[in-house]
Amino acid sequence: MQQVSSTFWIIIFAYFTLILGFGSYFARYNKTTNDFFFSGRRFSWWLIAMSIVATGVGSHSFLKYSAKAYEHGFSSTMTYMNDWFFIPFFLFGWLPIVYYTKVKSIPDYFEKRFGSGVRKLATFAILGYMIGYIAIGFLTMGKTLQPILGWNIYTIVAVVAVIAGIYITFGGQTAVIFTDLAQGFILIFAGILIFVLGINYVGGFSIFWNSLSPEFKLPLAHFNEPSNFNFSGIFWQDGVAGSVGFLFMNQGLIMRFMATKSVNEGRKAAAFNILFLLPISTIVVSNAGWVGKSISILTPEKWDATVKLDHVFTQVAGLITTSEVVFAFIIAAVAAALMSTVDTLINAVAAVVVNDVYKPIVKDRDDKHYLKVAMIVSAGATALGAISVVFFNNFPTLYEAHGFFHSTMTPPLVVAIFLGIFWKRYTTEAAVATFIGGAFLMWLGNKYPGILIAPFDHGIEMDPEHPYSYIRALYNTLVCLSVGVVVSLFTTPKTEEEMDGITVWSLDRAREKFKGSKPNDREGKKPITTWKIVEGQDELVRFSQKEMDFMAAEVGDLVYISDSRGWLGGLKSCHSVYGKVHDEEGMVYISAEIADSAMFVEGKTVKSEKEM
Amino acid sequence: MELSFARTWLPYIYLYGVGGIIFLTGMFIIFKSKSINIVRPRHKKWFGVLIFGFLWYMFLHGFSILAALNF
Repeated sequence: MQQVSSTFWIIIFAYFTLILGFGSYFARYNKTTNDFFFSGRRFSWWLIAMSIVATGVGSHSFLKYSAKAYEHGFSSTMTYMNDWFFIPFFLFGWLPIVYYTKVKSIPDYFEKRFGSGVRKLATFAILGYMIGYIAIGFLTMGKTLQPILGWNIYTIVAVVAVIAGIYITFGGQTAVIFTDLAQGFILIFAGILIFVLGINYVGGFSIFWNSLSPEFKLPLAHFNEPSNFNFSGIFWQDGVAGSVGFLFMNQGLIMRFMATKSVNEGRKAAAFNILFLLPISTIVVSNAGWVGKSISILTPEKWDATVKLDHVFTQVAGLITTSEVVFAFIIAAVAAALMSTVDTLINAVAAVVVNDVYKPIVKDRDDKHYLKVAMIVSAGATALGAISVVFFNNFPTLYEAHGFFHSTMTPPLVVAIFLGIFWKRYTTEAAVATFIGGAFLMWLGNKYPGILIAPFDHGIEMDPEHPYSYIRALYNTLVCLSVGVVVSLFTTPKTEEEMDGITVWSLDRAREKFKGSKPNDREGKKPITTWKIVEGQDELVRFSQKEMDFMAAEVGDLVYISDSRGWLGGLKSCHSVYGKVHDEEGMVYISAEIADSAMFVEGKTVKSEKEM
Repeated sequence: MELSFARTWLPYIYLYGVGGIIFLTGMFIIFKSKSINIVRPRHKKWFGVLIFGFLWYMFLHGFSILAALNF
């Protein structure tokens, strides 16, 4: 057990108070369930991109990747570096569809595309996926703090669950986004700090680099060995099932993109995140393992070789930080990062339960009622996630627990979403078969891996304890895909009219439906003006002809107005529709309701842009 | 010790071979469905970003392998 003094605990407590207080401050922006779940679709790309870092890097990553980095070297970066292949599908397929169809949840899309029966199946599957993810987050927290506290892992999980539950229950999506924004910066800083301190500890970069073997430094693992970490298995488990699962069926992430002010901002957030923040993030989460290996080679007397793999991160942090303050900061950053992942998922579970389970049963209640239910569900999801930790604690490492989870939970949903969006021929009956038939064939594969999964094993040896942990994702995806395709070929698809605006083949119609009339795609500019409240104009906003021309806008087009201080990232903003022009140049007329919901500050200018 | 092809370049070829097929399929579908329309200036930029991203990762991985092998 790592020895720490009261200073350590004071810093941990102060950090948590600060970061959770920062997020909770923004809870005052939650006025409706739309705000609680989607933050009113208002934020800029950079704010969402940074907050996604904390959601993705969040909980399990530091421990999980440090363990694999120590064991297998730079190939621990594979997971973060294989997401681009699916990005055309996401940026120009799924993202505009969820945005323009205004779906409240992924099951909501399933109802639009296939009907209520498939929606129920999808709700069940997606809740299972997210609760499992929450459980892995809690388990990580337990493993991070166990070497320091020496408590039983389940006691730690219970304490963490109570803190996370209270915070998310009252905070909502805006609190989540702002906590994650702060966390994103701090996590990257903490990760780079570990690397710098680690390099310094071993005596400089060239000593660090030369201490490691070429094999250790290769960025991709061996093609098919060992069975618990090989390239082909991880490609299918993580690069395919994991990446698609994260991008397409992680309700938490989808809600984050739906909080952007437009589809284009969502695209920018996703592209920037994958192109630049993920390569940085992978170094941030893995480097403790590389440094640990270097220390174990250069100064073996200082390295406890008996340490459990999931505790490598904590041991390295303890060794390289000469000051307890720095050690406490790093542990606090990682611990609070857990909140960033878990809070997103808890909020997402609440969104699915309220929109897909509760509202269809208890209809026509006021928004306050649903907001209250959302809070109760958030608390329940936290408790359920904490209980589910028992199952995932059976795996040797977090990496393997997560790998198994992705390989088994994601394929039916991923296949159903994918075929639903991109293949018009995919039928409702086929979607049901994908879930039920696919699950059955996956169960068969699990029971007889040596017969059913072996043909796809790429030469990977079967570990009888955990057979084909990763490459089973290929078998599972293929069987779900086959069932979906075969059943589609023998059943009747929906008509073009029935699928209007809900597949990639009719996105223009989705945009038209979103706006309520034909989109105006003329490129315009963004004027900065003053504003004033003028009553009697409903929810419309009015500009002078000069500004309308500047924005290339017409009456009836959609407009987005935000406080002109860019660093607010759209926190004070609103969407509206252009009303008839007035003759006061440099001024926008808005109603009191709009000014109130946008939280504009008197005397501050606003920036306006035509959406479509 | 000589590192085998299965340890050095085979994963790279597989990654950008199979990954490349997935990527090109995605590009084909979004073009065919007119979800991306490079006549629109904004979409033309996005087309460039999509291609750049693929090449960027190809470069990062290729360079890292060469660096690890001390080329």
